[in-house]
Amino acid sequence: MSPLTKLYGERTEEEKYEYFMERIEAGEKIEADDWMPDEYRMALIKLISMHAISEIMGALPEKEWVPKAPTIHRKLGIMAKVQDEMGHGQLLLRVAEDLMKPYGKTRENIMEDLFSGKLKFHNVFHMEAPTWADAGIIAWLVDGAAIITQTNMLNASYGPYSRALHRICAEEVFHAQHGESIVLALAEGSKQQREMLQDALIRWWPSLLMFFGPKSAATTGSSKQDITIKYKIRTKTNEELRQDFLTKYVPRIRSLGLTIPDETLRYDEENKKWIYKEPDWNEFKKIIKNQGPKSMERLTLRRIAYDNNRWVREALQ
Amino acid sequence: MVEKDQKEHGFYEVFEVFSKRSHTSPMQYQFSLLAPNHEMAFILAQENFMRREPVVDLWVVKRSDIRKMTEEERDLLKRLDNKSYRLTKGYGYLRKKWREYEQRMFDEKEIFSWGETGDDKRKKRTGSKAK
Amino acid sequence: MTSVKNALEARQNKEYVSALTELLFQLADDDFILAFRGSEWLGLAPHIEEDVAFSSITQNMMGHAFMYYQLLEQLGEGTVDELAHERSGKKRKNAIMLEKVNGLGTYLQSPKFDWAFTVVRHYFYDVNKKIKLDCLQDCSYEPLKHAAINIRKEQYYHLVHWETWFKQLVKAGGEAKTRMMVAVEKVWNEFDDVLSLGPRGEVMANYQLIDREDVIRQTFMNTIGDVFENLELGPLPKLKEMKKSGRIGEHTEDLEKALATLTEVYKKEPSSSW
Repeated sequence: MSPLTKLYGERTEEEKYEYFMERIEAGEKIEADDWMPDEYRMALIKLISMHAISEIMGALPEKEWVPKAPTIHRKLGIMAKVQDEMGHGQLLLRVAEDLMKPYGKTRENIMEDLFSGKLKFHNVFHMEAPTWADAGIIAWLVDGAAIITQTNMLNASYGPYSRALHRICAEEVFHAQHGESIVLALAEGSKQQREMLQDALIRWWPSLLMFFGPKSAATTGSSKQDITIKYKIRTKTNEELRQDFLTKYVPRIRSLGLTIPDETLRYDEENKKWIYKEPDWNEFKKIIKNQGPKSMERLTLRRIAYDNNRWVREALQ
Repeated sequence: MVEKDQKEHGFYEVFEVFSKRSHTSPMQYQFSLLAPNHEMAFILAQENFMRREPVVDLWVVKRSDIRKMTEEERDLLKRLDNKSYRLTKGYGYLRKKWREYEQRMFDEKEIFSWGETGDDKRKKRTGSKAK
Repeated sequence: MTSVKNALEARQNKEYVSALTELLFQLADDDFILAFRGSEWLGLAPHIEEDVAFSSITQNMMGHAFMYYQLLEQLGEGTVDELAHERSGKKRKNAIMLEKVNGLGTYLQSPKFDWAFTVVRHYFYDVNKKIKLDCLQDCSYEPLKHAAINIRKEQYYHLVHWETWFKQLVKAGGEAKTRMMVAVEKVWNEFDDVLSLGPRGEVMANYQLIDREDVIRQTFMNTIGDVFENLELGPLPKLKEMKKSGRIGEHTEDLEKALATLTEVYKKEPSSSW
């Protein structure tokens, strides 16, 4: 009998794997309590807990501008946007928590792993956001980059992740427009406002390139992209995503009269790809070890808030 | 059991959230959240999952109270596609038969239309015109 | 008192419009400054689900302030953003209790914010806000009456949200209850100001803009008194008299710092579009 025609209880471990791969190939979704190979579970836990914690740490640079936003309308807009980031963190944490349950791990463990440095948060959120224009660039371009990586996983083979991403991407559309609105107001504003915007773009450009991660493990010595592609969690490679980003955003950035700080940047018609100056991957390696410009400060902020409110969580347990 | 579950979870419990978008729509599953108890889950649910859509009703259910199917048990759901006798498609020949008696077929569309008031019909007509 | 339909009609009577303006500044500034305090919590609440829900409440409150500022704009007091960002502390009419910092540190550095204080302050504030909104359902100024009808519907959730937190943390006993009782005392000591309608309260009541202050106070004391009794917190202590009142523009350094933060970007170029 083929493993596919057997009842679930009749399959051996190897046949379960075969059946599992068959389901993924057929576009079926794997659910939290389904049988899955350890490699798959581990890859998901790593990916999704990092994604979750990045949303939560990612709220911090923009959060700096929430009370300071220039008008009531902007205050409300950025508050709703940062709230969504926390909300995305919530959705993704729930997905990660259910995956970790068999190992007896909880949200608390995720937070502790973040504080101990075991769990990394996304490299882009270790950077400084010193002006209001940075809040605009983050919402426009960092979220733009995030939309590209996240839509690439909308059909992920893991059902709960795919469903969370559908919710997240629907909100990202609002974020992108919120960012465009801030950026356009500055681009069409006074000299000081335009300069503020240009400076922010210069500051964020290398981070935006690094956002998608290294081309291959050879660049930095680590990359999970192969496993995630094998299990149909994602479809495109880091470099393909970076190319998509450049195609979509470079013309828009230039249309506003902004200068991208890379004289070598151009589209190679022949090979149908963007040529760009590689960001400093040594810097990237430092950042992902929590040695970026704001790494420790943001981790400390998060830890203080977490410890300071411990009594509330304990009171209602 | 509940106590053990809580300890196992470190803090708070998993609650599943369901909501209705309008008075005519069915309850729909939304997502899960962590909360210390039902009341707290209740006041957190709408703003966590339905910040941008209308909600007219809301349920929260403790996950541990749901009897879920295991993957093995899902084999209980399999069945053959040979039950046309349960469906109208098994009785399609009647349309032709009734035509012989110069009668219309009472199909699903026809039967459901019997419950409509004059208002519904008018709405339907203007609605289809608008399209 | 017949109803007053719009700003134009209101401006026919100087005494009326000045009492109305006074009331609107109190309502707007109260919601605005407490929403600002709420916005500082974003990302720092005790657990993530609460963080998200709390932010919705903060946004709603700032939206309510926006509506009141709009009514002031119609009365010729300046644009909404001028009213929110350009008025000095002396011109602000919010109660002092609402401008107080959330706790130690700032939202940018070492935020050791006090959740118990936040719960108590928001809960007591919302109990009072509900009572005022109930009164405003009969307000003689139609635009305010309509705003209040809408705000009241949305505010009910705020009240239930903070009531749930208040009751659960008090009932939790132990450290939580101790912290809550400290917070209750702190809020209570300076709550008189929140219940005050300022020196023109009489005029407001005479023109049927809102109920008399003593009636609102009594309703508030009865409501909170019942809550204390149900939670076995003993009899309600008397409210303390305060040396200063936000209703006449007297404030603390906390407000000055808050204004510096919330106007930081706006003040770079107040005439620019942001």
